[in-house]
This record gives sequence, C-alpha cells and structure tokens, in this order.
Amino acid sequence: MALSRDWMYENNGGTCVAIAGADYCVVAADTRLSIGYSIYTRDYSKICKLTEKCVLASSGFQGDIKALQKNLAAKHLIYQHQHNKQMSCPAMAQLLSNTLYFKRFFPYYAFNVLGGLDNEGKGCVFTYDAVGSYERVGYSAQGSGSTLVMPILDNQLKSPSPLLLPARDAVTPLSEADAVDMVKDVFASATERDIYTGDKLEIVILNASGVRREFMDLRKD
Amino acid sequence: MFLTRTEHDRGINTFLLEGRLLQIEYAIKATKLGSTAIGLKTKEGVVLAVEKPSPLLDIDEQIGCAMSGLIADACPLVEHVRVESQNHRFSYGEPMSVVSTAQALCDLAHRFGEGNKEYMSRPVGVSLLIAGHDENGPKLCVAKAIGSGSEGADSALQKQYNKDITLQEAETTALSILKQVMEEKEGIFPYYFVSFPFPDHQNNADIGFCLLFR
Repeated sequence: MALSRDWMYENNGGTCVAIAGADYCVVAADTRLSIGYSIYTRDYSKICKLTEKCVLASSGFQGDIKALQKNLAAKHLIYQHQHNKQMSCPAMAQLLSNTLYFKRFFPYYAFNVLGGLDNEGKGCVFTYDAVGSYERVGYSAQGSGSTLVMPILDNQLKSPSPLLLPARDAVTPLSEADAVDMVKDVFASATERDIYTGDKLEIVILNASGVRREFMDLRKD
Repeated sequence: MFLTRTEHDRGINTFLLEGRLLQIEYAIKATKLGSTAIGLKTKEGVVLAVEKPSPLLDIDEQIGCAMSGLIADACPLVEHVRVESQNHRFSYGEPMSVVSTAQALCDLAHRFGEGNKEYMSRPVGVSLLIAGHDENGPKLCVAKAIGSGSEGADSALQKQYNKDITLQEAETTALSILKQVMEEKEGIFPYYFVSFPFPDHQNNADIGFCLLFR
C-alpha cells in the first residue's frame, strides 16, 4: 500500500515501447492502470509529450510519474524562456537523467523510455532505469511486459548488432508503417501473457511532419 | 551639467531629474580608458584581436571573450559564466549558445546597489566582446571595437568590413586596424577563434585556438 512508513510506492503496471527509425520515432504504451489484481481504469495515458520532438512513456508508479512529467515540463518552459528555443531530444534525455538521479535516495518509481527526433531529424530512443542511468538505443521496452516484448524486437527489427565494429547506429531500417505494425503485433502478444497489459494501445508517431496519435483495442481480460 | 558637483551624494541607483544614472555613465567612461579590442565576424569564424594577451579569456570550448576597461572587474563575471556554461553542459548534454552565455554574463553585471549583501557596490567598469559559434554558426555583435581606440577603429571598420570577407581577410583587417589605433607599436597578440560551419557536431577537431606572436 502506498504511503505506509516502510513502503511508499505502488506498481500500476503497463508496458511502454519505443522504436527509432531513420526519420521517425514510434512510442507506444497500453492504457491499463492496475493495482494488485484489480484494474483502476482502462483508459489512462502513460505517454507524455514533452516537446515538439520528444515524447516520454513511463511505466511504474503513476503518482511518481505524474510528478516527474510536471517537473520536466516546468524545466522545459524555463529553458525555452532562457534560451529562446525548444529543448532537443538529447538535451531532454540528459535532463531526465539528472532529474532522476537527483532523487537517488528516494527514487521516482518510474521506468522510462524517451523517444523523439534528434537535431538531425533521425529517430532516437533513450532508455532509463529508475535512478537515471541511460543509454541511446534503437528500440526499447519497459514495464511489466518488457521481458515479453524485448526478445521479439531483438529478433524482428533487423537492427545492426551492437557488437559490430565500427559501431553502427542502432536505428531500424524498417519503414514507419512497418514499425507501427510491429508495435501492434508485439503488444497483442504481450497482452496475451501479461495480466497488467491490455485494454487499449496508444501509439504516438513523431516524424518531420509532426506528431500523430493512433489507437488500437487490446484484449480486456 | 553644472549641477554634477552636488549630485555625488546620491545613491548609486538613484536617477537624476533628467533621467540619467550617473554611475552607469561613468562606468562607460571607464571602459573607454582600456586597451582596444576588435571583433570581426565572418561566415567562417570570428576573429578577436587585442593589444595585450591578458584581456582574452575563453569561456568554453567554443566561446571566448575580449575585454576592455577594468579587467579585474570582468574576472569574476567570466568565472561565473564559465561555471554556468559547464552547468548547462551537465544538465543538458550540449554546449551553451553564445547568446545565452552573453545573457548569463549580463545577468550578473547589473546586480549592483546598496542594501543587498549579494550585490556589488558599483557597476562593472569593463566592456566585453563575446565571440563564438553555436548551432547557428559563428556569432559576435557584428564588427565592433571597444576600448580607447574604439572610435578610430570603428570608423576604419565601417570602411573595411563587410559580411562576406573570409577569415583570412578578417584577421589581416583586424590586425591592421589594431595597429593603426595603438599607441605603442610593439607586440600585437592576435587570438584566433576559428570555427567552421560544421556539418556534424561530433567532429570537434576543427575547432581550436591559435595564439600568434608577432
């Protein structure tokens, strides 16, 4: 139970996925909010648009996540006033890392995936742990269904292996439409086996023409 | 104007009837006593030229400044803005833009007055040329001269400067103008700030400093 002296967190479940492409980025999350074996709501968005080019999807304790999103949005506003421009996705990535580490000794219970377009318009995905350790990757999954989703993405996205030398960019060569289809398939599979994932899938696609949102129904059991 | 004798007992931040702040005007006069510094911006980079090496300081990898006036006044400002620049790199993983750096400097420069312990007791008596490059390319307040030779230098710059000169031409121009306005003709230390319109931000090898002794 949240707010007892010795355990101040809850896990509201859910899965978040992001895939980076050559000129797009797909960020997706289910919309189920759970607690224990109950469902609080079937229609809760885990995705937050931080800037025109940067979207955050988080799974974990949604109370902490709401606070984290507000924190980042406020810092972004101050940045815009001071520097007369929006934050780039890599800058937001660094800021998120610092914000999480700032609470190293009472962490945000948030498992984040940050997706967007970098300064050159290429897709970028940053994946985090709860205290801010982060890495730029080509794709990532976090949350209760992440262990079910990651192996499929490893297998199907045809991204260059991270073991290759010279180091290659990890973005997938798939087209935007293929990546979106992949995300839908992957969530449909995760929903089958993970009880905390389901109800509805929210997909946010960022590319040069802007930000687009799609929804897909998932199994409700 | 004949009333200035009796105005010195006013507070630093008190306006005169005519709407002037005496201390600020006197501070500007103090900067005119300093050694000349010239800055020129070209499409390829920015050149800062000064009479002596001490007024040239770097703020970060890609930004530097030239000062004129009471150099000692500028040192804490530059220290502060160096820290701001590194804080920015720490928080956002990117270099601070030239305009933001200048803004950070200016934020400190106007913190003077009585009654607040954190404030300076008087305005700074130094003017600065801040030059560097950021994602918008090389940056400086176009072609400017500050310091004692500034009027002469400015008029010479009007004639010899245009936006499209190359970096080489700019260096030569800056040096020749500096020589013209300097009283003692020995030892000029030009300081290049060379930047190229870089297509890929990772390649920092092109960006560097040169210090030339002539």
